[in-house]
Amino acid sequence: MNEQMLRLPAEQLFQKEIDALIAAEKAPIPTGWKMSPRSVKTYICGGYVNGMEIIPKYIGQERLVEIAIATLVTDRALLLLGEPGTAKSWLSEHLAAAINGDSTKVIQGTAGTTEEQIRYSWNYAMLIAKGPSEEALVKSPIFHAMEMGTLARVEEISRCASEVQDALISILSEKRIFVPELGMEVPAQKGFSVIATANTRDKGVNEMSAALKRRFNVVVLPTPGTLEEEMYIVKTRVEQLAADSGWNAELPDTDAVEKVCTIFRELRSGETCDRSQKIKPSEGVLSAAEAISLLCNSMALAGSFGTGKVSDYELASSLQGAIIKEEKRNVFVWNEYLENVMKKRGKEWSGLYQACKELL
Amino acid sequence: MKHPYIFGIRHLSPAGAWHLLKFLEEKKPKLVLIEGPTDFNDQIKYLTYKSTEPPVALLAYTKEAPVRTILYPLAEYSPEYQAIVWCKTNKVECLFCDLPSDVFLAMPAGRKTVAQGEEETITVYERLDRYLGEDGHDTFWERTLEHTLNTGEYHEAANLFGENLRSCSEGSEADWEEILLRESYMRREIAKAVTRGIDPENIVVVTGAYHVKGLSDPAGHVMTEEERWQLPREEIQYTMMPYSYYKLSIQSGYGAGNRAPAYYGMLWEALKREDISYAAQCYMTKLAEYYRMEGNMTSAADVIEAVRLAGTLARMRGGRYPALRDLRDAAITCIGRGDAASIRNVMMVTEIENKLGGMPKGVSRTSIQDDFYRQLKELQLEKYYQGKVKKLQLDLRENISAEKEENAFLDLHRSNFLHQLNVLDIPFGRKELLVQEDGTWSEQWNLEWMPEMEIKLVESALRGDTVRMAAAFLLRKQAEKATEAGKLAGILERAFECGISEAVEEITKRLQALAVEAVSMKELTETAHRLSAIIRYGTVRRLDAEPLKPLLRQIFYRFCLLLPENSNSKKTASVISDMELLDRIVEANDCLEDGLWLQTVKGLVTGTDVNAKIAGFALALLLEHGIIGKEELSLEIGRRLSPGVSVDSGAGWFEGFSMKNHAVLIAKMEVWSSLDDYIIRLDEDEFKRALVVLRRAFSGYSADEKMDIAENLRILWGLDSRQVSELTDAANCSTQELSPEDQQFLEDLLRFEFEE
Repeated sequence: MNEQMLRLPAEQLFQKEIDALIAAEKAPIPTGWKMSPRSVKTYICGGYVNGMEIIPKYIGQERLVEIAIATLVTDRALLLLGEPGTAKSWLSEHLAAAINGDSTKVIQGTAGTTEEQIRYSWNYAMLIAKGPSEEALVKSPIFHAMEMGTLARVEEISRCASEVQDALISILSEKRIFVPELGMEVPAQKGFSVIATANTRDKGVNEMSAALKRRFNVVVLPTPGTLEEEMYIVKTRVEQLAADSGWNAELPDTDAVEKVCTIFRELRSGETCDRSQKIKPSEGVLSAAEAISLLCNSMALAGSFGTGKVSDYELASSLQGAIIKEEKRNVFVWNEYLENVMKKRGKEWSGLYQACKELL
Repeated sequence: MKHPYIFGIRHLSPAGAWHLLKFLEEKKPKLVLIEGPTDFNDQIKYLTYKSTEPPVALLAYTKEAPVRTILYPLAEYSPEYQAIVWCKTNKVECLFCDLPSDVFLAMPAGRKTVAQGEEETITVYERLDRYLGEDGHDTFWERTLEHTLNTGEYHEAANLFGENLRSCSEGSEADWEEILLRESYMRREIAKAVTRGIDPENIVVVTGAYHVKGLSDPAGHVMTEEERWQLPREEIQYTMMPYSYYKLSIQSGYGAGNRAPAYYGMLWEALKREDISYAAQCYMTKLAEYYRMEGNMTSAADVIEAVRLAGTLARMRGGRYPALRDLRDAAITCIGRGDAASIRNVMMVTEIENKLGGMPKGVSRTSIQDDFYRQLKELQLEKYYQGKVKKLQLDLRENISAEKEENAFLDLHRSNFLHQLNVLDIPFGRKELLVQEDGTWSEQWNLEWMPEMEIKLVESALRGDTVRMAAAFLLRKQAEKATEAGKLAGILERAFECGISEAVEEITKRLQALAVEAVSMKELTETAHRLSAIIRYGTVRRLDAEPLKPLLRQIFYRFCLLLPENSNSKKTASVISDMELLDRIVEANDCLEDGLWLQTVKGLVTGTDVNAKIAGFALALLLEHGIIGKEELSLEIGRRLSPGVSVDSGAGWFEGFSMKNHAVLIAKMEVWSSLDDYIIRLDEDEFKRALVVLRRAFSGYSADEKMDIAENLRILWGLDSRQVSELTDAANCSTQELSPEDQQFLEDLLRFEFEE
């Protein structure tokens, strides 16, 4: 294993767990898979196998993971939808790692992705020198996955141009790829499927066509279910990020994390956490990932210009930036939230309330 | 010793019904005993009438207030119902064998719905669900027991389940005593049958799986005749009533209902076809059909994929066929494209379907009817129960001279009752409008009874067992449907009028939710107005309006935020009337900060992007509250009416400004001199426009006030008082004396087009 690598693929990082699960396998294994669907679920949601602890990779509704795995068993393509920061790519990578032991057959969807990257392109030097031949063919990750009967991943599919997206249609319905230049067709082996991810906030960038959507089973990944869950995710991640950051600031205390998570959850869902009061939801993205970056930002502020301890003042300025962004409407939302909710929360919140009020 | 056969079932379980039928067919018993109250034995025959159509419910209720009820719902797929029908077709005797319902109702716990003793073991269920990762007990049961076509297997599994459940919780249930009592009673019924000469082997007892072990115990105690006499009893009445799938689906608790009656109906159909997978196919196809009806695109391929996915999900859980939970998740994924919200409604329709049961005519006398007649008597309204209009004057305040407590508030209770009936669309009493301004303690009613109201009453039976419950249910329903805060506030007001405090809380919460969404000033004002009325007059109805205050405050705050945004709206009239109303509300309610209100209004006076008329009105409001200084006032008048200001801003502003404080304005000479100055500088066309606006402004002034204004102008222009009085007298006479030119001019003005 390469220790210098900045980031290892999931199947190498969790090699031991995967090996243990494969060794302990008793249930039937679908064609092309490395382990049974139930073991895949254990790998992702955590558990024990032969006394070895499997770390949970995805914290949230296990049922969604079950649906995702079942979809891949039925050889349907899987589309993971969700707001930014809901662990779509993370889940997709781990699914591929557990099912095939290979999460690297991936196409990153961008505005610049071309149809060739989905299907195949040519090594032009060789093409000119020798004419079309199999050696001159540069196969896409999907092409490889079809030949080998494994999973291919397409990230941020809705960022690709429509014609590029549509190149997937024939692959998903015919389950074969044609290379007319060589008069050749490559049928997909059993076990081939595609996991795509798309961002719900990107809706309308390149809306997926109905024809393509129809070929996917859609699983929507929600924002964290409970305050505790979200706080856990935010806290662990901030700790990891702060470990070698050099921000010169103390970690925000539980109280600050709780406040930020509470505000985010309430503005996201449009009601207070105790469900007693409805409020106007914000239009901006307020994901757990956003909360993480907000806290990091507060730490950097406190370290560089403050006392080194994240105070209400730093929180307030980061909060305002994160919530209002450039939307004018959000000023209204934030103002109303401060008056109707935060003001009435009592002593622990009054410091933050004052700090926010002063900035408005 | 020979034993009767005890068949363990789960209430409302299609598989239980199917296996029971097969078993009865094979065993051909002479007597079937069913776990159900013995005092309903006379009613069994109604269940097999041709015109009886399940779902139906057996209902027992106490005659005395507070009314307590006990309900036994039966669907087509209830094992009990199928057993009864089987007995009828095969001419086999069929009896209930559980404790009579009058004993149930007399027991101290005061149980409201059927509780079969298993409710208390909820922790066992929860532990089981958590262990298996299922979402509820229904799913566990369906996966384990509903999908088998092998009767032997079913028996064993059901009995094993019941037995294990019992051993997990035996003795620890809160109603353990009651369970033992019931079982000893059932044993007694069995023994009674045996003494009649029926061979125990020819008896089948249909009972909850939980009781199988208890009843099979040969050493179990059999209730003696003496013990039976000692059982507490309550005077009760029985009825049978048509039930609906909807009612089944909202009843919680084991035996009282299930979440998806229509789906269980499909499962029953599937069992009859001996093809379990039919249920999944039927569910998905129906769901897709409803989804299409809502205008969504769903292809047959989607339905196929959904059924496949549901199957895979079931297999991951070790099941053979998909359970409802798998079907739901697959439908969301494949048909709803991952969007649960878009498909939830359709899912509800598929699972519940609006199926109504039917009963033969004359069988049912519902509890709500009883409740109605009981209240009629209690509230001394019987003399009004006739086809002639009679007047009734109510004083809602406490009658201090009354000796008994219920008499002290008799009129209030009467008013509540009549309001409740009105909510149920039974206009027994019609309230006369506005006897007192804003309605406080006095009400005037016209009472008249018509036969069709009886039918309405019976129809309301499904909404609740008493008039009050039914009204509360309906109000809640209406509140759920309401999408405008103003309307919802109206419903809240009605809940107050009905004296239904428990609905008030729920509606308030929803109102709060809606008020957040409300963007129209009109809606906010209407809501605030109604809330304010409730808060002010709630005490006379002896209801606590305190929880409404924060809500009123919130709406008020929102109004203050929205007002500046709407202040350049073209709908000046409606904004001004909203402001006027809110001003009154702020004054009437101490809980609102008038500081914030006045500050908001002040913002309008000087705001740049504010419609002139509204700005004028805002100034008038400040003047009325006496918080604007003399200098500030003159400055503002001078600024607004300075030469060169356009007609719309100048005259329009004056129109708004002069809507209030007439006397104060008349006394302020500088107002008139500024106005005079302003008008003189207008050119012909501008003057015509201004005239229309000003005429409208002065139309709100009384004749005397107009005279005073004329007097002001006389002084201003230095005219002789006699000359002026001639002119004004003429003006006060009718318009008939106008010259043709003036007439023409007036008509032109009438046709004048405003940009407003």
